[in-house]
Amino acid sequence: MPLKILSVDDSRTIRLVVGRAVRPYDCVLFEAANGEEGLAAAARERPDLILLDVTMPVMDGVTMLTKLKEDPALKEIPVIMLTAESGRENVIHIARLGVRDYLVKPFQAEQLIEKLGRIVKLQKKETAAAPTV
Amino acid sequence: MGDAASYLELSRRYGFAPKPESASRLTQLVARQDSNLDEIARVITKDAALLKRLLRVANPDAENEAEYAIETAEDALLRNGMGCVLVLAMSTPLAVALINSFQTMLGLKLEDLDPHVADPLEGEHLLGTISFSGKVEGKVYLRISLASAKAIAAGILGMNPDELTDANEIKDAAGELLNIMTGNFKSNLCDAGLECRLQPPEVNLSPDFETPTMPGGGLERMAFKSGKIQLFVDVTANPWNVD
Repeated sequence: MPLKILSVDDSRTIRLVVGRAVRPYDCVLFEAANGEEGLAAAARERPDLILLDVTMPVMDGVTMLTKLKEDPALKEIPVIMLTAESGRENVIHIARLGVRDYLVKPFQAEQLIEKLGRIVKLQKKETAAAPTV
Repeated sequence: MGDAASYLELSRRYGFAPKPESASRLTQLVARQDSNLDEIARVITKDAALLKRLLRVANPDAENEAEYAIETAEDALLRNGMGCVLVLAMSTPLAVALINSFQTMLGLKLEDLDPHVADPLEGEHLLGTISFSGKVEGKVYLRISLASAKAIAAGILGMNPDELTDANEIKDAAGELLNIMTGNFKSNLCDAGLECRLQPPEVNLSPDFETPTMPGGGLERMAFKSGKIQLFVDVTANPWNVD
């Protein structure tokens, strides 16, 4: 079964960068552009991990995380914050809500994969078998 | 465990990069409201890059340093007040984040450029704006030619610029760059007790750009260059919008 990863970010650019980073691995990426869409996608898809931005329209990441942790069916899903905001108050508040990790933008694909790999078992997609002679 | 100790522990756990120390110190001084100008001038004078930028902000019409009418940090602060100090404090993490973004996401070295010697943008270009409000209010503007914006978006997305035909993807990449820069300085402000909220970025095509003004506040104009890519960043801020 491929891993399910949900990327919640209002920037399509970031969702595409995340998609490119996880492409070599056996996983399916779901996308949401704000916290409200993110909660709906989490309830529908039950992802193995959520990557969550903070500043988003409609519903921000902190509100989504709060609601996620209040929902008995969703609260165990591990969350990595993926945001440019690393202010003391925000980081402490978010840590207390219960996130597994925090990656500050800008980031490299390798950093993201390293942090993902600490939480879920990432497996490279099987490459096509070499032709037999 | 206190908040400062908790944050240190979390910073280590999450692997945060250290923040520019002089900018943090300067923001804390501005946030205190009762800091005296001598104390602030001392912090700025110790940092050659900050002093250079303060004098550039204090002499907006000078084409080069030889034309500066204001030549010391003390004079600059007396003439321009705290607004310009706040802008300096904010612009430092912003510039660091922009340079890091280019290095990290594009593998390009971005260099600081004197805005007076940068080639001005001509014709239609991309203008990105982020507003922030709270104990500090202001705006950050990112201006960039369409060709540069396309090169940046293609670089971030790992594509050839010719493959990138969707204008929304180009705008979105510019908006995200703005978001990353602004998010980093917002953290610096909040850490100093100047809580503020960011609005999502707005990016549009613009035929021209009027120099923003903010009565009682400060303005810093910055320019950056990497190869053929050139960016302009303007920051306006007004401190102490306290209840």
